[in-house]
Amino acid sequence: MCWMCEQFGDQKHGDGLWYLNPRNYARNMYKLRAPGEKPKGADAGLETGVMEGPSIQDLISAVEKNDKEGFERMRKIMQEVGQGQQVVPLADADKILELSSPIGLESCICRKADRARDERNEFQYTCMGMGVGMLKWERWPERYKGGVRFVNVEEAKEWNHEMDDRGFVHILMLFGAPYIGGFCQCDYPDCGALRSAVDFGVGTLKSHYLAKVDYSKCNGCGICAQRCQWGALKFETTSGKANIDMFKCFGCGLCHTACPRQAISLVRRESVPAVAEVWL
Amino acid sequence: MTIPAKMPEFIWGRQFPKIKIDHTKCTVPFLCKKCLEICPVAAFNVSRVMSLEKKLEEMDPRVDGNYVLHVSRRDKCTGCNLCIEVCPVNAISIEVPKMERLRPEVKGGQWTS
Repeated sequence: MCWMCEQFGDQKHGDGLWYLNPRNYARNMYKLRAPGEKPKGADAGLETGVMEGPSIQDLISAVEKNDKEGFERMRKIMQEVGQGQQVVPLADADKILELSSPIGLESCICRKADRARDERNEFQYTCMGMGVGMLKWERWPERYKGGVRFVNVEEAKEWNHEMDDRGFVHILMLFGAPYIGGFCQCDYPDCGALRSAVDFGVGTLKSHYLAKVDYSKCNGCGICAQRCQWGALKFETTSGKANIDMFKCFGCGLCHTACPRQAISLVRRESVPAVAEVWL
Repeated sequence: MTIPAKMPEFIWGRQFPKIKIDHTKCTVPFLCKKCLEICPVAAFNVSRVMSLEKKLEEMDPRVDGNYVLHVSRRDKCTGCNLCIEVCPVNAISIEVPKMERLRPEVKGGQWTS
């Protein structure tokens, strides 16, 4: 069980998974900042790439200075600021979208900053905002100058499935745990959340699942190997089949949804002892 | 407290490449965006220059100084020179620290450099 489930989960709902606890979607979980209080985390300036507290730049400097203690300390602070954003496979994403309202599609801030993608209309949007925070979207004009398209649950699910087909990982974005503010659609290297998790082990928690290959069904077509963003799944030449490094697997389920022979299944992380508590 | 069973592995003390951007030459990065699109490791980052009075305005990428180019992920930079070749105004320079060849010698069953 991850610490988010310990804190925000409910055994009566959704198997104890924190993001399937309907209480976490309530209006009063959304933190209103008191006047005079400094913004924190993403609220501090997602547009400018300036966050409060340590940044990836500080982690890079710590590696250069051989400062392991400093690195660990900053990593912990960054984990708190990230507030438990988590990778979620497609099946769970559908359940989340049923719980959350309103849902809006918008431009992706990471792609804008890292790859200069200016998503200007609803056909280009690659980000999904969720929850009551969407109703104050005009507070971030730069982010939303491409506009917002509000969608209903069915449209949102369909869109999420399309993004999955394209090969994007779904990462829950939190703005003040456990308030869920959106679904990032991520890939390596241009997505901040996914990249920080792969390169530095900060920010994003691994999902509650792991991908497992059924070798009797796998025919070695290699479709899954094209989709792994974590460097966990590779094509093993000797056996001619897919091979998954479970330590690196984040359980996003992209290989699972792409497999034409249903040879890759998602199993609960708890069922694999050595990686049961590997969340970062 | 859970202890991560696998951490990202670093060479501690390693010096990463230093990427310098001449902001007097690079004035419209969000319009040009050549380096941002070509970098294999997406080391660059472009952001709007924020100021209180312009907070609610849309900023034109064609205007000098509205956007600024940063380097966000130099840890993965290899000095492959793609960005330097593609830059139309020669604003980027990279200094890659020399890395010594590691020549292991076996001593008492342990690898030492």
